[in-house]
Amino acid sequence: MSSYTSRARHWRLQQMYDIIRLVWFDLKRELTPPVWIIMEWITFMIQLGIYGALISQLVTGVSNYQQFYAVGFVIMMTFDIGSHTGRHFVEHAHEGRLPYLLSLPISRSKLFLSIALQGGIELALMITVPLAITLALIGNVTAVSVVAVIATLFCLGFGVAGLMLGLSFIAFKSTDIYTAITVGLSTIIIRFSTVLYPLMFLPPGYASVAMLSPLTYGADLVRLLLGFDPSILLNPIYAVAVLIALAVSTLGLGTLLLQRLVEGVKSA
Amino acid sequence: MYAVETHNLTKKYGKIHALKGLNFTVNPKEIMVLLGPNGSGKTTLLLILATVLKLTSGTAKVMGLDVTRQPTKIRQILGISFQEARGFWRHKPAEILHFHAAICGVPKGERDARIEEIMKDLELWEARNKLFMHLSGGQSKRLEVSKLLIHRPQFAIFDEPSSQVDLRGKRRIWEQIRRLREEGSTILIATNEVREAEYLADRVTILDQGKSVVCDAVRNLKDEIAGGDVVELQLEQGSNNTEELRRELSNIEGTVDLVATGEDQYRAHVSMAEAWVPRMTSLCYERKARVLSVRVTEPSLDDVFLHFTGKALETATNV
Repeated sequence: MSSYTSRARHWRLQQMYDIIRLVWFDLKRELTPPVWIIMEWITFMIQLGIYGALISQLVTGVSNYQQFYAVGFVIMMTFDIGSHTGRHFVEHAHEGRLPYLLSLPISRSKLFLSIALQGGIELALMITVPLAITLALIGNVTAVSVVAVIATLFCLGFGVAGLMLGLSFIAFKSTDIYTAITVGLSTIIIRFSTVLYPLMFLPPGYASVAMLSPLTYGADLVRLLLGFDPSILLNPIYAVAVLIALAVSTLGLGTLLLQRLVEGVKSA
Repeated sequence: MYAVETHNLTKKYGKIHALKGLNFTVNPKEIMVLLGPNGSGKTTLLLILATVLKLTSGTAKVMGLDVTRQPTKIRQILGISFQEARGFWRHKPAEILHFHAAICGVPKGERDARIEEIMKDLELWEARNKLFMHLSGGQSKRLEVSKLLIHRPQFAIFDEPSSQVDLRGKRRIWEQIRRLREEGSTILIATNEVREAEYLADRVTILDQGKSVVCDAVRNLKDEIAGGDVVELQLEQGSNNTEELRRELSNIEGTVDLVATGEDQYRAHVSMAEAWVPRMTSLCYERKARVLSVRVTEPSLDDVFLHFTGKALETATNV
């Protein structure tokens, strides 16, 4: 019995090592040197320091719009990384890397977990500095609210990655159509959301469309956790429910679709 | 038990049938070569066996394991070298091989030695620290093959292992594949290169339009072609009763056609030259006709392909 337990433990450890290997093999190349991450941080600082500071002088409806804008920009970065992870997977399929990954001696669920984990680590690396700057700018935040903010961002990131994975079936018909749809969708999802402006200030037509954007729920929940005026934000219970539902449904659906589609497509 | 066994295996891409009810077997520890033109279903079959693609209908088993029900277990005993090495553009060959060896369970203590040995043998050692995107086509192909040679799986699949590789490189790859088999691996190779098939195959399966046309040892396939062997015969000048001898030679079992190409010179199209030549020498001995030279040319696998499918390997296309 103890020998069986020991073998099972060894097997689980081996599987965990394999997941870490897969994640690290790709990630270390992206981090040597970590130019793109540093560029994102610099972009955030410039946007916040120049544009955010100037635009906040013009906005009167929201007290300290620069802080509002900083949170919105972190949400946009989260969205970018999430959609990048989803698109990255599709690119792998077309570059021929996916068939290789699918032939490795690990289960499909572990392979998809490694992809999700890599996306999560990239997200963490990317938003660490912008989030730290935002928190410093807002000030007076508790450890609990910071943890809740991070959990919200990851939930949103996974949801967006799952959404892009779910759309990947289009890429197997045409990568051009997939790129056009995802870029177009990204533009709409960001603009028709509360990332840059509160829902209550939007005209009714715009507001009803913004309620369909996952970023609306992510941005408003993060702002609520960081102490923004609740009267200009959505009900947090709705936001939590929508974000969890989004992450679970799109990741689940995306994985299911890929398991059926990737292995049914001649991609090698 | 067969190492590989498929029954009624069908794969459809939309309305196109890549495999049409394929029945196919590979014996343990043999080198089976799949020979067929582009689009004949070779790569599709390999990818289904490697559990990279899902089958549409039928069954496929690798070492007794079902590709649909036990794909992870199959991947633990199998390795595949793809037709094209792509994907890891910003990695170095040595890194790629270390990663592959580690994830395929090559013992840590053996990895460095195996990687160095294979990289040196396939002339990749000098390029070990180049980026993958800077490798030539031949180098990236050799890298792809190296993965399997280092992994040494129980069942190894090679998809066109020496395409894009120079002649010397081809020889080295072929020697390594043979060595892999000698070490106990079962090997399945897809190719449309006749020479590669002739050099490596224990048995050949000819695929055409998603179906197995014929499967046998190379020798047997060649022997199946009636009159496929060409024997050119030179007798000593002044042999007696030339016309009678020609008639008797024509009557030897296995002769399809025999013509005189000069005085005391003949060209015969025969089935199984290895049986026909001893009969011919006995006859000549009895008739006191001295044989000066015998030259036998056997049919190539291209001729075999032509014989069984009715089209030449290089030009055949389908779908």
